[in-house]
Amino acid sequence: MARIGVFVCHCGLNIASTVDVGRVSRTLRDCPGVAFTADYKYMCSDPGQMLIQLAITEHNLDGVVVAACSPAMHESTFRKAAATTGLNPYRVEIANIREQVSWPHQGAPEEATRKAIDTVRTLVEKVRYDEPLTPFKLPIVRRALVVGGGIAGLTAALIIADAGYPVTLVERSDRLGGRMAQLSSLYVNFDDSGDLLAERIAAVSGHPLIQVLTNAEVTGFGGYVGNFTVQVSGLRSQVSGYSNLKPETLKPETLKPAPHTFDVGAVVLATGFDLYARENLPEYGGGRYPDVVDSLQFEAMLREGEVRRPSDGRVPGEVVWVQCAGSRDPSLHRPYCSKICCMVVAKQAIAYRRVVPEGQAYVFYIDIRSQGRGYDEFVQRAMEEFDVVYLRGKVARIVEQDARLEVWGADTLSGKSVRLGADLVVLALAAVPSAGSDALARVVRVATDESGFFSEAHPKLRPVESLTAGIYLAGAAQFPKDIPETVAQASGAAAKVLQLFAQPEMVAEPTVAAVDERLCVGCGLCVPACPYEARALHPWRKLATVNVALCQGCGACAVVCRNKATTVRNLTTGQVLAMMEAVLPMTSGQ
Amino acid sequence: MQTVPKCGILNYVAEQASIPRALIVGAGIAGMQAALDIANAGYDVVLVDRLPSIGGRMAQLSETFPTLDCAQCILTPRTVEVGHHEHIHLRTYSEVEAVEGEVGDFRVRIHRHPAYVDWEKCTGCGFCQEKCPRKVLSDFERGVGARKAIYTLSPQAVPNKPVIDREHCIFFQRGKCRACERFCPVGAIAFDQEDVVVEERVGAIVLATGYDLYGLSRMPEYGGGHVPDVIDALAFERLLSSSGPTTGQVQRPSDGQVPREVVFVQCAGSRDPEKHLPYCSKVCCMVTAKQAILYRHRVHDGQVYVFYIDIRAAGKRYDEFTQRAMEDENVVYLRGKVSRIFRQGGKVIVWGADTLSGQQVRIAADLVVLAPAMLPRPATHRLARMLGLPVDAYGWLLPLDANMHPLETVRPGVFLAGAGTGPMDIPEAVAHGSGAAAEVLKRFARWPDTPLPVGGDTEGKE
Repeated sequence: MARIGVFVCHCGLNIASTVDVGRVSRTLRDCPGVAFTADYKYMCSDPGQMLIQLAITEHNLDGVVVAACSPAMHESTFRKAAATTGLNPYRVEIANIREQVSWPHQGAPEEATRKAIDTVRTLVEKVRYDEPLTPFKLPIVRRALVVGGGIAGLTAALIIADAGYPVTLVERSDRLGGRMAQLSSLYVNFDDSGDLLAERIAAVSGHPLIQVLTNAEVTGFGGYVGNFTVQVSGLRSQVSGYSNLKPETLKPETLKPAPHTFDVGAVVLATGFDLYARENLPEYGGGRYPDVVDSLQFEAMLREGEVRRPSDGRVPGEVVWVQCAGSRDPSLHRPYCSKICCMVVAKQAIAYRRVVPEGQAYVFYIDIRSQGRGYDEFVQRAMEEFDVVYLRGKVARIVEQDARLEVWGADTLSGKSVRLGADLVVLALAAVPSAGSDALARVVRVATDESGFFSEAHPKLRPVESLTAGIYLAGAAQFPKDIPETVAQASGAAAKVLQLFAQPEMVAEPTVAAVDERLCVGCGLCVPACPYEARALHPWRKLATVNVALCQGCGACAVVCRNKATTVRNLTTGQVLAMMEAVLPMTSGQ
Repeated sequence: MQTVPKCGILNYVAEQASIPRALIVGAGIAGMQAALDIANAGYDVVLVDRLPSIGGRMAQLSETFPTLDCAQCILTPRTVEVGHHEHIHLRTYSEVEAVEGEVGDFRVRIHRHPAYVDWEKCTGCGFCQEKCPRKVLSDFERGVGARKAIYTLSPQAVPNKPVIDREHCIFFQRGKCRACERFCPVGAIAFDQEDVVVEERVGAIVLATGYDLYGLSRMPEYGGGHVPDVIDALAFERLLSSSGPTTGQVQRPSDGQVPREVVFVQCAGSRDPEKHLPYCSKVCCMVTAKQAILYRHRVHDGQVYVFYIDIRAAGKRYDEFTQRAMEDENVVYLRGKVSRIFRQGGKVIVWGADTLSGQQVRIAADLVVLAPAMLPRPATHRLARMLGLPVDAYGWLLPLDANMHPLETVRPGVFLAGAGTGPMDIPEAVAHGSGAAAEVLKRFARWPDTPLPVGGDTEGKE
């Protein structure tokens, strides 16, 4: 007879105000095989965990059900707590009576309590048939792949390599530096972007543990955290740094433009951003009028030290900046705010006024978003010291007239429409994911959000991790961000890599699919059914195999398997039937 | 554990002595993240917090923007992980008193306040708090809720051990009572406990000291400090929190009524170089939008007004979130400054300007929530002086370089994370925490004789 303990959590009032937790506990006591039940205000707190540990020892429990919040919250907490008593952690299950019971059924306490009891009952049945399991241990390849050679990728690569691990940095263009190389100076101190960047590029290029591949792209990708296999194409141009290590194999002339395959344990995606195409904004003359330029074109002028109109080379006396060009416009363009443009525009307007002291700068904006140390003060300086005129309103149209531009807009503060003559218009275009990042996302299988940026694992608490284990995110590939934030986040991504590489081995969950070799006929139905590519046919035996590191235990294979050769450990057909029988009225004979 | 030269092929200049152990000051979300990332790589961490338990500001929040995850629910798995981590040594209710030495070998004096409870014996059963007859307003509840003279910050506190507040304890004040002692089943009450000073030796330090809010009483023009129904954003978080004093019911402090009209005032003390602070506090726009939405979730027919200068919703799904507040929850955003807030009968009158219509606005509200400016915690300044770190004019910690080295300081071996460097929201603070951990891990790895927590695999190092 099983000796299962049931522990019902109040979660303060989160559960207890709707579910009669005492009744859940009392009712379960009569369930066959249940040897002990208790309820407590916060099971996850120290005394709550101690209560479970004591009960396991005192009542010699061989299985535990904790009725509490979602297993995503505290399954690992309770499994760890139980394991300290010697109980196999895979004989601990969570009955979710908060997200699936008390929260959605507020106002129906009786029904909620009955549902909670049924939910716990099913988990008691599951535990009854849970096998004690041991996690798999897999080796780790301690080499990192960094995709993208902008400031985010450079920073992440440098930290990982400085900690002693080899890094391969793959950059699509022919040089390192990314967007930062296109900037003139940085807000708020007008530090020279090129100088700051050059230092970091030199550190990366000269690093004996960093292999830089330019003109290169990731074309193939497989494996799992700790053991990825990467295929990179287009190895053509310069290889630096790493050649110190193996000069004979990595001299540029020996590299062929053929795919090159190697193994890595972790990946940092730092593919940055592009600007929304000017052509998408015909109402602003984007792509049609030469003197309507984007903010990166204006940066190029500032880098030259001269601001001249593309059309005729004249120094523009009046320049209009249009913020949110393509941003914050859910009906026509991108719905989101691109975060960095307000500060970029303020910097450009000041820089313009420094180069052209007699010039006049106008900025159309919706809200001025200058959030950072000294940022708001910087915008104030633009207005007060550099006489930049800020107009709150949208620009409706830009038309060309007699070799000048006319900007038609609204000033929502005066409530009037405005028409400004301008020699040059700078569009602060929305930041969008860099071209090719969607293809990369498909190759390496990371999720993207509704705007095409890489999705972080949790919007608050896991901002530098992707939803795929072992793949981390840095910089504007996740969402537009400025340089300080990018550097901090890239360092954070590097920390995740270092943490992974510090583990003696990878630990993989054992609750995955298993094949009964006596029943499997090698029909192969499970192979296409698996969404994680964890299934394959054995090279010579008539059998299907499971890659335990890739398998997520979803059970799709078990469903398609015709002769029930495949089962998911601790979620077998027998268990599921027992769980159903526990709650379906026609079969519950107890 | 085995000792191997970590970077055999690299000819780094051997940095002097080297203790691969980190001190983290501040156990909020940034400090906890740094601690976990360092500890999960196998190194020891000493995590210091001045409060009795960890979690920092995030433990006070109700739900978090823009997904409305319950803060406590996503935080407790973290606090529990930190609390039970074999490589993290918690020193709560403690403050750093002095630091000597250099990178690789800092000697840190840590002063622990007397809890008057023997935490070794205490099981966290909570009887003492139940039996304590003395109720006082709680700082953690921002004055809208009470605690006992013996207390933990919350039922999920990590560590879940109480402290006695000497100022309010009847025994300490009048020499009798001892109710807690009488009811403690394990004899853990220790009225004779004294201050303890310990020394820790660490190789690197991360400052994650967080923020405070600009005091309400500094804004008398907004009724701050004298109108009871003018509260600050953190107090409103406590009212919204299901683990707060009202279990998530919105009730105003003066009479416990459910407010029907609520006015939020953004930039209270921010962006006001003449009277208050010149800088933008970065997170208040989103906090306000969230609070407006949460209020409407609790009071469906309630009316919300928000006074703002610019709506700063720059982040993934942030702008869309404020749009939701306006469109789905009918929150009325008024662009303009508030000039005066005062009490009239049972109402709180708000005088302001609407710069879009050019009209003066007068709203008779039931409750006013100010989104005050953020300030560095007072201890930050002391720590900065102790360590020789520069701070800006308002006391925020300054990094080595704002752009290229945002987490390093002028002092080798001392790093920064989180809102001690300036206002920031949770994801940014978490990224900062991980980033500071990377700086620490990188240096630990470079130290010549650092024991490598990895069993022998040096494949990657050729």
